[in-house]
Amino acid sequence: MAITAAQALAASASDGGSTRLEVDVAPRFAAGDRIRTRNINPRGHTRLPLYLRNCVGVVAADLGVFVFPDTHAHGGDQKPQHVYSVHFSAKDVWGREGGERDTLVVDMWDDYMDPA
Amino acid sequence: MASSAHTRPLSEVEIRVKALESLLVEKGLIDLAAVDALIDKYEHKVGPRNGARVVARAWVDPAYKARLLSHGTEAIAELGYTGMQGEDMVVVENTPEVHNVLVCTLCSCYPWPTLGLPPVWYKSAPYRSRVVIDPRGVLQEFGLQLPESTEVRVWDSTSEVRYMVLPERPPGTEHLSEDELAALVTRDAMIGVTKVSA
Amino acid sequence: MNGVHDLGGSDGHGPINPEPNEPVFHAEWEKRVFGMFLPVAACGYFNLDEFRHAIERMGAPSYLNTSYYEHWLHAFETLLVEKGALSAAELAARQQQIAEEAR
Repeated sequence: MAITAAQALAASASDGGSTRLEVDVAPRFAAGDRIRTRNINPRGHTRLPLYLRNCVGVVAADLGVFVFPDTHAHGGDQKPQHVYSVHFSAKDVWGREGGERDTLVVDMWDDYMDPA
Repeated sequence: MASSAHTRPLSEVEIRVKALESLLVEKGLIDLAAVDALIDKYEHKVGPRNGARVVARAWVDPAYKARLLSHGTEAIAELGYTGMQGEDMVVVENTPEVHNVLVCTLCSCYPWPTLGLPPVWYKSAPYRSRVVIDPRGVLQEFGLQLPESTEVRVWDSTSEVRYMVLPERPPGTEHLSEDELAALVTRDAMIGVTKVSA
Repeated sequence: MNGVHDLGGSDGHGPINPEPNEPVFHAEWEKRVFGMFLPVAACGYFNLDEFRHAIERMGAPSYLNTSYYEHWLHAFETLLVEKGALSAAELAARQQQIAEEAR
């Protein structure tokens, strides 16, 4: 059934749209870990941008457990896993075109990374 | 709008929208009152004035600023700003040493409860493609020239966490009230493409 | 997918050109598309990741040549037909009917 205006306004003010999961999943990484992003080229959905494939970075923070978009977009499997805030040096990502002091900070799921 | 709609033919996209909406209503899947209520909310009630209140509070209240930087979602909710596309908020602070700027290279992720719906340039290819590889060049297009000694941090919102920049409080504003400070804060400063000026 | 939506680092998209005093919406139809999102999502036919992927699947020329809310409209049409909430035929018939009435 269609939601009413009151239900729509309440939903828009709630955290019901969050894909954070309150489930116990062991993290594969911790703040300070050096990681290398995977070189994946899936035909389906992914949130690992092209420019950050096969790049070395450092985990800055564990943001908690979330739905994994690569599976969730195809059949709805949530595949719960940790998401981390990861710092990449612009020089490492872009080579000589990258700013000497500049940093890219990007959220990464467990399945996007290996230890470096 | 209503009168002009009768004096010109509908565009292809207008026809598609009307067709979709009318079928969804007929099938009982959507209630137009809900659609209207959401349009009204995000056109008139949610916008960067919300984020400006958060920034001004952080500038005058050090304890609030500490909560905002450590527990963004909860601190923003203290001022009543919650909901869709702001369920998990992280606030990052601009300083003379570090300048943060936000983007979503893959789509258009943006913190709706504090900044409202994103401007067209934020959602478009020129900004999304370039700010990650040439942030200083992009900031110059917005009139912001940063010293070489400042680190630029570009936050690419790939996950469901939403980011917001806490801009630097401009010098010479010590005498201003919280309301007066909020009036200085712009959307672009909370994205990180400009600074707040007094 | 390695689609054109994945824009980080690519060249040739031109200047940024921010619009001064930009309105929240630029046309009435944009409002309708925006306002539909939550009520349609609440029907449970798709999740946000499927919605994003429907936009990614629209193809490079369409993606770059249409606006943000046209991306949303495309995703609604694509997913609601794929999931069986609407048929492509009834959507096309209704579009034709509205176009004729508007002439």
